[in-house]
Amino acid sequence: MTAGRVFEIREFTLHDGPGVRTTVFLKGCPLRCAWCHNPEGQSRDKETMRRKDGSATVCGEDWTDEALAAELLRNADIMRQSGGGVSFSGGEPLAQAEFVCAVADRLRAEGIGCALETSGAAPESDYRAVVGRMDFVYQDLKHHDAAAFRRWCGGDLEAILRNYRWLRTSGVPHCVRVPCIPGVNDSPADRAALLALAGPGATVEFLPYNPAAPAKYPMLGREFPLAAAT
Amino acid sequence: MKPRIEKLLDFTFSRRQDALRRDADWSPLLARFVAEGVDDETRARIGLVEMLRAEGETPAFLDGERLAFTRTVRQIPELHTAAEMDARRAGGTAFGEKGVVFNITADFAPTIRDGLDARLGELRDRLARCRAEGDSEGAAFCENAALSVEAVLELAEKYRAAAASRGLHDVADVLARVPRFGARTFREALQSLRILHFALWCEGEYHCGLGRIDQYLLPYYEADIAAGRLDDDGALELLEEFFVACNRDSDLYIGVQQGDNGQSVMLGGLTRDGAPAFNALSRLCLKACGELKLVDPKINLRVDKNTPVEIYRLGTELTAKGLGFPQYANDDVVIPALERWGYEPEDARDYTVAACWEFIVPGCGLDIDNIDAVSFPGALDAALRLCADGAAEPGGYDAVEAAFLAEVQRRADALVEKYRHVEVLPGPFVSVLSAGCIQRARDICKGAKYNNFGIHGTGISVAVDSLASVRELVFEKALVSLPELVRLLDTDFAGRPDVLAAAKAAPKMGNADGRVDSIAKRVIKFWGHAFDGKRNDRGGRFRPGTGSAMYYVWHAREIPASADGRLSGHPFPANWAPSLDVPVKGPVSVVRSFTEPDLGAVCNGGPLTIEIHDSAFAMPDGVDKVAELVRFFVLRGGHQLQINAIDRDTLLDAQAHPERHRHLIVRVWGWSGYFVELDREFQDQIIKRVELAAS
Repeated sequence: MTAGRVFEIREFTLHDGPGVRTTVFLKGCPLRCAWCHNPEGQSRDKETMRRKDGSATVCGEDWTDEALAAELLRNADIMRQSGGGVSFSGGEPLAQAEFVCAVADRLRAEGIGCALETSGAAPESDYRAVVGRMDFVYQDLKHHDAAAFRRWCGGDLEAILRNYRWLRTSGVPHCVRVPCIPGVNDSPADRAALLALAGPGATVEFLPYNPAAPAKYPMLGREFPLAAAT
Repeated sequence: MKPRIEKLLDFTFSRRQDALRRDADWSPLLARFVAEGVDDETRARIGLVEMLRAEGETPAFLDGERLAFTRTVRQIPELHTAAEMDARRAGGTAFGEKGVVFNITADFAPTIRDGLDARLGELRDRLARCRAEGDSEGAAFCENAALSVEAVLELAEKYRAAAASRGLHDVADVLARVPRFGARTFREALQSLRILHFALWCEGEYHCGLGRIDQYLLPYYEADIAAGRLDDDGALELLEEFFVACNRDSDLYIGVQQGDNGQSVMLGGLTRDGAPAFNALSRLCLKACGELKLVDPKINLRVDKNTPVEIYRLGTELTAKGLGFPQYANDDVVIPALERWGYEPEDARDYTVAACWEFIVPGCGLDIDNIDAVSFPGALDAALRLCADGAAEPGGYDAVEAAFLAEVQRRADALVEKYRHVEVLPGPFVSVLSAGCIQRARDICKGAKYNNFGIHGTGISVAVDSLASVRELVFEKALVSLPELVRLLDTDFAGRPDVLAAAKAAPKMGNADGRVDSIAKRVIKFWGHAFDGKRNDRGGRFRPGTGSAMYYVWHAREIPASADGRLSGHPFPANWAPSLDVPVKGPVSVVRSFTEPDLGAVCNGGPLTIEIHDSAFAMPDGVDKVAELVRFFVLRGGHQLQINAIDRDTLLDAQAHPERHRHLIVRVWGWSGYFVELDREFQDQIIKRVELAAS
């Protein structure tokens, strides 16, 4: 039995794979992307989010793999009916790789498909273990330049690319997603370089910048880093 | 869309038909009726005849129009004074709404097929028999009906002559054929339907449904296709012209709110013999609506567990355009429910909806399916006060629930008494278009094959959530006593924010939470049997439903705060839907909660209403996902579903700048209307619903 920490379970998600899906947002991420729109997913610690109206909720809930799978399987009927399933997002789901594997195994045993949304910032063994259990992977590529990546996201691009190169050969269906951030990675040259990095034949989705990204920072008592940096 | 249709559409949107209209003063006619003590049936006949004759309608043709008939007189004759109606009510006669025939779908098919001349022949034969048998009531009906038919034919002839003199020879040719004789082509059938439907409104009927047009117009479409007279493009163009025409006069049609005019259409489902009925014409109807994006006609789509996903997708594509329809009805639930209420299997398979969502059988029913409503939160409020006063048996939560159900029963019984005897005012022309009236030589107002009454159930989710809250706050957590809770309801929880917070946090329908959904199951089961064995004096049953119609606004004003944490002055949700202030996990859980009870027991109608944020349809497979959600509802045994795709910002902007959003369509309580034409109260309720959907 493993335990994990989740900050949201959202049903009927629209951007996370085929069919009717539930997306599990896992708490904790090794990166600190300046434009992150889920800042409550970054820290592994439980956090209190305060709204303007004074109400407060604790963000972060602990689950065993058995309990989380059971909760997700409550919607197994519509997932099977529609060819949908469960998507793991975050935060960075690979930061809780063992937990995600355990939940995914339980879902797969019930015939429920799984998908992963990842930055790829994880040890190779974790990456391969989780990806090997997925029906589909959304792999972020946020920048093509290692220095810029370190500056904006606080991580090691090369380690991510190692994982991505393995994904390309793994046979697991996948696509690359690029969050387009004004002034960071959205010039034509950036796009061309990102396409080159994704490699020949790769499916690349350029996602428009989410203007609501700063919304949750004040609830955590934080400043929106991208605003400070640009 | 063809330029010709665009032109007609533009004509309608820019309201140029207003210039064709004039006002009529019918007060001398009414004064004459009163002075001479004219009987109801004769008044109805004279009213229609005057409306259609020299005093009233004059032929009007729009540029490029191929299907004629446009209203040119704003007012239809009032047939009774308010004093006359009040006196009858005071004398103990109950009426459904205004008293006239309404909220039904006439039997258009036989008259489109045979022509009105055939009906005239039948009326003359029947008149002779009535005279021979000394049936003076029957003879009077036959005479009034025949005169009404002749008035319709005269106006059609006037239109024909006017078309011919203006050189509109193809229009004149069609009018030379219909409605006097049977239609032979799709165009003739549509023209005939247009005239018959037009005449019903002129007779004073309202909420006149169009019913299963994809079934009864199919033979004409197929004949034209087979003969090579028409292709799908041509058929689509004619359908679109007919649909545009449904929007031209509709501001003159009576309803509680603008748009509430009951021009409903039912597509798909099963034939009377039980075969799948979705056909090429159903497809064309959906396509026409998708191109036109108009509020009328209001599209309903019958589906079942065997319906291919593709049909759900076709429906969802309309939802994605923000039309608020189609509204779905589940044959697997509705047909057996109607059979249990005594509808013959063939009739049950032929069902359509009345104005909004009440399930009726077209052509042969005089069901009054919205005659009144029971306020479930009102019943609970009364029951809680009884329990708090110690008037009910002590005994924990179960006693409260039992007292609530007893109050629901008491209110149901009171409605049975109130509506045991209901009178309907006659309509000779609608009788001609209703199965069996000519054979019986009686107006439809005297009764038809089915004479059931429908009773809405308002705010069921508010009552169920409140029960769950009472159980948790009073009996499980002992946070507050029942008498204290009742006092707090009268003061909007003043001084006890903790109780209000706990009430809001208690289990709510819409989250697939067994603690509250199990209560709903019992309440619906009880409601389904509340009228067992009860009959009105026409032998009709009382059919309980989950609809609210406009009562959701009215009933909410009758009680203070409710135990679910809803404050005074806040509305109930419309129909069968989560309470407005309740955060729900998402549409899957909403569907799961609201399909948990056995809805076959409460099939008067009343849809689950779900708001889907329109961004869902920005994704390429958004239509697929929503289509699967609808199918999930059907597979789970849901009875009726409507989906709104809108976003809150647009609605707020439309409130502030109505002139920029004249075409914004929303689903209100059982019909789609233009948002900017609704009263503020209804607008606010929709915004509230959408806020909960946005996530």
